[in-house]
Amino acid sequence: MAEEKDLAKIKEAVKRHKKEVYVPVVPEMQLGFIHNNVDCIGCRACEIACKDKNGLAPGPRFRNVMYVEGGAFPDVYAYKVNMSCNHCAEPACLPTCPTGAIFKRKKDGIVDIDSTLCIGCRRCEAACPYGAPQFIPERNIVSKCNMCVDEIDAGRKPYCVQACMMRVLDIGDIDKLRAGTWVTKAMASHEKPVGAVKNMANPELTKPSIVFVAHSKAVVK
Amino acid sequence: MSASKYDLHAIAERLNNAARRDFLKTTAAGAGVMAAGGLIDLAAPREAKAFAYEPYPTDDQLTTVVTSCAHNCGSRHVLVAHKKGDVIVRLSTDDGRYQKDGHFGKDTFEEPQLRACLRGRSYRQRLYSAERLLYPMGRVGKRGEGKFKRISWDEALGYVSKKMIEIKDKYGPTALLDQSYAGASYGVLHKSDQIEGLLGRFMGMFGCRTNSWSVPSYQGTTTSSRWTFGTIEDGNEDDAFAHSKLIIMWGWNPAYTFHGGNTFYYMRLAKQNGCKFVLVDPQYTDSGAAYDTWWIPIKPNTDAAMMAGMAHYIFTNNLHDQQFIDKFCMGMDAGTMPEWAGSTPNGKENFKDYILGKYDGVAKTPEWASEICGVPAADIKKLAHMYATTKPAALKASWAPGRNAYGEQYNRMAAALQAMTGNIGILGGCAEGVGKAWHAEAVAYPYDQYANTWFASIKSDRWAHCVLNYPNVKREEIGLWPRQDATDGQIPNIKGIFWQGSDWFNQLTNINKEIEAIKKLELVVCMDSTITPSGLWADVLLPVSTHFERHDVALPWYKGHYYIHRPKVIEPLGESKTDFQIFTELAWRIGGPTFGRAYNPKASREYFHYNDAVDEAYLREWWEHKVMAHQGVTMPWEEFKRLGVYKFKLDKPHVAFREQIENGKRFDTPSGKIEILSTELAYIGDWTKTKYGSHIPSIPKWIEPWESLNHPKTKEYPFHLITPHPRHRTHSIFANCSWLQETFEQECTINASDAKKLGVATGDTVEVWNERGKVVVPVYVTERVMPGVVVIHEGAWMQLDENGVDRGGNPDFLTLDEPSPAGSFAYNTVLVNIRKTELEHNPGWDKTSISRSQVFRRDN
Repeated sequence: MAEEKDLAKIKEAVKRHKKEVYVPVVPEMQLGFIHNNVDCIGCRACEIACKDKNGLAPGPRFRNVMYVEGGAFPDVYAYKVNMSCNHCAEPACLPTCPTGAIFKRKKDGIVDIDSTLCIGCRRCEAACPYGAPQFIPERNIVSKCNMCVDEIDAGRKPYCVQACMMRVLDIGDIDKLRAGTWVTKAMASHEKPVGAVKNMANPELTKPSIVFVAHSKAVVK
Repeated sequence: MSASKYDLHAIAERLNNAARRDFLKTTAAGAGVMAAGGLIDLAAPREAKAFAYEPYPTDDQLTTVVTSCAHNCGSRHVLVAHKKGDVIVRLSTDDGRYQKDGHFGKDTFEEPQLRACLRGRSYRQRLYSAERLLYPMGRVGKRGEGKFKRISWDEALGYVSKKMIEIKDKYGPTALLDQSYAGASYGVLHKSDQIEGLLGRFMGMFGCRTNSWSVPSYQGTTTSSRWTFGTIEDGNEDDAFAHSKLIIMWGWNPAYTFHGGNTFYYMRLAKQNGCKFVLVDPQYTDSGAAYDTWWIPIKPNTDAAMMAGMAHYIFTNNLHDQQFIDKFCMGMDAGTMPEWAGSTPNGKENFKDYILGKYDGVAKTPEWASEICGVPAADIKKLAHMYATTKPAALKASWAPGRNAYGEQYNRMAAALQAMTGNIGILGGCAEGVGKAWHAEAVAYPYDQYANTWFASIKSDRWAHCVLNYPNVKREEIGLWPRQDATDGQIPNIKGIFWQGSDWFNQLTNINKEIEAIKKLELVVCMDSTITPSGLWADVLLPVSTHFERHDVALPWYKGHYYIHRPKVIEPLGESKTDFQIFTELAWRIGGPTFGRAYNPKASREYFHYNDAVDEAYLREWWEHKVMAHQGVTMPWEEFKRLGVYKFKLDKPHVAFREQIENGKRFDTPSGKIEILSTELAYIGDWTKTKYGSHIPSIPKWIEPWESLNHPKTKEYPFHLITPHPRHRTHSIFANCSWLQETFEQECTINASDAKKLGVATGDTVEVWNERGKVVVPVYVTERVMPGVVVIHEGAWMQLDENGVDRGGNPDFLTLDEPSPAGSFAYNTVLVNIRKTELEHNPGWDKTSISRSQVFRRDN
């Protein structure tokens, strides 16, 4: 069921929003994800931990482990690409929001939606090339991964990362992750992170804050 | 109390969806009348309030309680319950804080975090599910119709105790069948178990119990390891895998099924250390993908033949470790045959001469094996060469290929390979098998001579055969265990069944035959926290508190050296009681203080209402007199309770049989050696008098299964069905959780070339049938399974339509209730046919609650 909304507050937000020209927030430090495509066993514990933390009914999924497979019997391959909201440097969702409910945190670049301002128009859902925003029909709002801001603010890591049985999903300072200087179990010492894999939209669109240890068949040439 | 103080409906609604609301109200009000198909009579609706999730409650607003998961799984992981009042609002897992010298983020090689899997993480949905059993229920319709009414505990237990006495008096001490299993109650105190759980001791003391001796999951390997090594403790602790240079995963999928806390993770570390991986399996599993394996697809049920081919290559190329064989093995070759063997009825042959073809004129060459198993001879040789020349190498012979016709021969053949290459008792090698490793103190409940008292014991999947054909049943047909008294050979006259932590009616083989048999019984009792498919066939449903609602300590089954404290996190929901409370009360009702106190010596009859202090006393005694006394633990009980987790630090990795190999200790076999030739089997002349029932060779041999892709029956049923464990359920547990239904689907996996012939594509629905039954499932077309093989995961909740077709897709309508001589269930020995269908698949009882899975598969 949809919550009661403060209409006056929303109207004011729309007015304020209209006056602004969107300039992407440049965070002091951008947090981002790293996922190892090969070593991931695809168990989806991260997905369930997320659904439990966020109290989601069946339907909306903030995190999705995509199964990729190919080849012909018996020369086959399979790997996983695990994504939630990528907390992009230039989020496509943000400028589409008519009420300004979507915001990017200055501190760590996390993109979040203020549910008290969301009117459920679902424009952000259409704008995101990664399918991150999820419509919650019972509440008539769009919601998505906020990297467990409450956990981040408490000095911990998000539920999905803490759930990973194989330690192949992690977060960190995205610049250092890209440079390969961030200490993480998601990557072995001989592995190098990449900013894109097949099976995802061109990262130039929104500059997502995610890197992968790519499967040989997932490498983008 | 919980239901009134915090709104259970609201939680459940939040976790499931609005469409289930009415169902919840009816069950919670106790007026629910449920039909087998899940149809509900609606009571007057009541308004439910949603629980606020945003803003997220912060740490100081919630109470944090460390506990663990608890279901029929070989592993056990930490769950941290965050509660508001008496309601769990979210779960997290081990983050390094809940142990001695712990801190946030601590995750070392020695003490890795015990992170729960997707099943564990979905526990709130199970706990607060619409199918949660909250009150005692009595059957009002026909058996299996699924119509029940709420009754009082007094009425329920009065009825059960009266019927028990009546049945025992009328039919004798074998009339009640114990079908307890490790379902929902695995802890040191509240233990459901097939052999030695709370139910077994209760029925044994009562004096009426037929036991089910063969274990569905792994009887092949249990029997094999007992013959070969004299023990089931053939396992390494999982950190030992990190030392292997080669790991052969034979039918093993550690991405789906777990033992120990971190096997899959230690294998990742092995990979980073340069270990090579091979997967022998009809499917290219997710383990195959994650460990970058060389995949060798093999026809199901032909594993022993391929292994014989490998043994031939190793022997004829002189790659075996003769020194190891001479020192530690019996019957591997002519030189290691005991003198007495020649005079035994069944023990004249040795393994090497069998492989070389001396007895039957058939050399078990890789080419011979290739004809049977479908693996090219060159690959068999290559793998044999790799295994024999890479040191140390771990051949992990998993349970699944042993769940076959003559499955025990596969496990014995694997043990022969492990022994001939000298990979037993060394770090990085492997003798598994069963895989039982570090020895835990597992028993806090009263344990005495009644722990496993029985008056008859049969192969578990033969109960229906026994009931339907009594008294015209031969002892060898049901694998009757011999007795040393006058009752030896008496066929049990089964008139009632108890299920404790068990959904066996849904999980054993050939369900249609079970359905015929259960109609003949006079008492069926189901004790569970959930209304299960089995429960619908019961006369009385007794609601059991989940592990969140009682005090216990958790431990993994067979490996993983840790204990997790399980306090009572919330008050029991509804009128649920622990199974220990229920048995204690039944004992008092049946036999007064004599039986009552004998069964539960620390308790009075008040235990049914106040159990906390008694449970605490049992657990404290276990900790102080067993754990602290025997395991070198100095941490006091109170500190363990405060921390939550105790992780043992071993001074060196635990490797099975290290003592035997390094220090010459005897193996626990009659000869003190690794018995490739089994002393026990060698001396058997009359097989009908044994629990096996029919002949078993005394050395590992390839025996043609009764159904396989090499069988003429493939003309009618051209596909070989295997029924492995799913990832999104533990057997049938969690089948009702919509979060998990969303991640994976009950489906029939089929190779693309077969799909083309059948004209089906992913998204279509097929019917899969043979002479035993028919099921309806969606199809998943892939290149990752061998042509001719189809896969349907076991454990789907059965949903029969009016024509007896299972719309839920439970493959046990297709399996055969014919066990191997050693007791291996034939879960993977099934031929079927398939066609596209217009019949509808029902993914769950409550169709409105199901969001069909979006599996997000992509083909490049």
